[in-house]
Amino acid sequence: MITTILANIIRFVLLLLLQVLVLDQLDLANSYVVPYLYVLFLLMLPLELPGWASLLIGAVTGLAMDFFNSTPGMHTSACIVMMYLRISLLKLIAPREGYEHGMRATASRMGLTWFLTYSSLLVLAHHLWLFLIELHSFDLFFGTFLRALLSALTTLVLVLLAQFLTSVKDRERG
Amino acid sequence: MRDLFRFLFRIRDTLLFLVLIGFSLTLLYSGNAHHRARAINSSNAVVGGIYSLRKQITDYTGLKEVNRRLAEENADFRNRMSSSYASVENRFVRINDTIHRQQYRYVPAKVVNSTWHKPSNTLTLDKGSKDGLHDDMGVIGPNGIVGVLNDVSPHFASVISVLSPEIKTSVQLRNTGHYGLLYWDTNDPRTSSVIDIPKHARVQAGDTVETRGGDRIYPAGIPVGTVLTVVDVPGINYHKITIQLTEDMTRSGYVYVVDDLQRLERDSLQLINSMP
Repeated sequence: MITTILANIIRFVLLLLLQVLVLDQLDLANSYVVPYLYVLFLLMLPLELPGWASLLIGAVTGLAMDFFNSTPGMHTSACIVMMYLRISLLKLIAPREGYEHGMRATASRMGLTWFLTYSSLLVLAHHLWLFLIELHSFDLFFGTFLRALLSALTTLVLVLLAQFLTSVKDRERG
Repeated sequence: MRDLFRFLFRIRDTLLFLVLIGFSLTLLYSGNAHHRARAINSSNAVVGGIYSLRKQITDYTGLKEVNRRLAEENADFRNRMSSSYASVENRFVRINDTIHRQQYRYVPAKVVNSTWHKPSNTLTLDKGSKDGLHDDMGVIGPNGIVGVLNDVSPHFASVISVLSPEIKTSVQLRNTGHYGLLYWDTNDPRTSSVIDIPKHARVQAGDTVETRGGDRIYPAGIPVGTVLTVVDVPGINYHKITIQLTEDMTRSGYVYVVDDLQRLERDSLQLINSMP
């Protein structure tokens, strides 16, 4: 229990720093594409986390991002929307026997298909919301849509990369 | 009654979701756009500290460029020094100048974080209220205007960049004096638009656009950009002018914050006048 909390706090700090110090400074395709890898922290939260807790953690994570980006409410709302969808999605794609206690949302543990469905839907929802809110209007709807899509794909590739890099350690632990 | 509570308990996640999303959307849309980032911005001590730590590390990679720009600026100042002018007459009289008085003071600051690719952009500076900065001060770079301070903490300040549709700066054409507003709707960090310049004003590509002054933010005559294109749409009484910004917003290392020394006097006068 304590180990899980500690691991999640460390993951939160590391991913947030990686996001604001490295990824936000990237200039991919003239900043057309911006990966938001910090959502990996939200994706990897324990599966048995109660709904209210995941919503609150989502709000706090988004708020932290907003402080760094001076964008009050933008990341906060995107993370809350994503976490609300996560509650329903987890029920929808649960294995037949339900989730075992202490099961972690990783590709090596849950299978690649499950993880891909889970992460791609949530990442896409988060990015779409974020990019549409950032625009404040539906002026450039399709341009923004494409931008969100490409950014979500980039984020997803980074998420999978992170999964494969940490999976060796995971399997050893069993 | 018990059923109601049971129902509320069953949809507790949705209720919490609605409360939280309401809270975040209030943050997003509360207040006027200029002061939107009142509490949540990067002038915060922790955030500013992390950004300036990163800046300390990444500064080394940009030293060559910074040196070049400082040298250019030095050369420019040297050109303006009295020693660079040959004296026309040999008799000098020392005058205690009571006609000219310093109106603006410049506080140099380092940009520790900046964005330029978003629909609305901000910068974070490493100077704050301890250095005499306060809200609504202008920020200029070596080549032109950069933005307006919107919040300060003791050691940091956050700036709304001119690359934001929230701020409109009063600008004028250097040649003719016709004035309009600088409004960033081009979504391109190198260009911006000037609106509200009447059609009878003669403008052509290459004309210089500068600040108008009098808005208590920028001194008059600070360069803003040069005219790229002028489009006249029939039925509208104003030019549609696109300008090239002289300040490269994608790489401002050092900037100057403009302190209007007569601001207090002017503000209190306007306050007295506006009272019934």
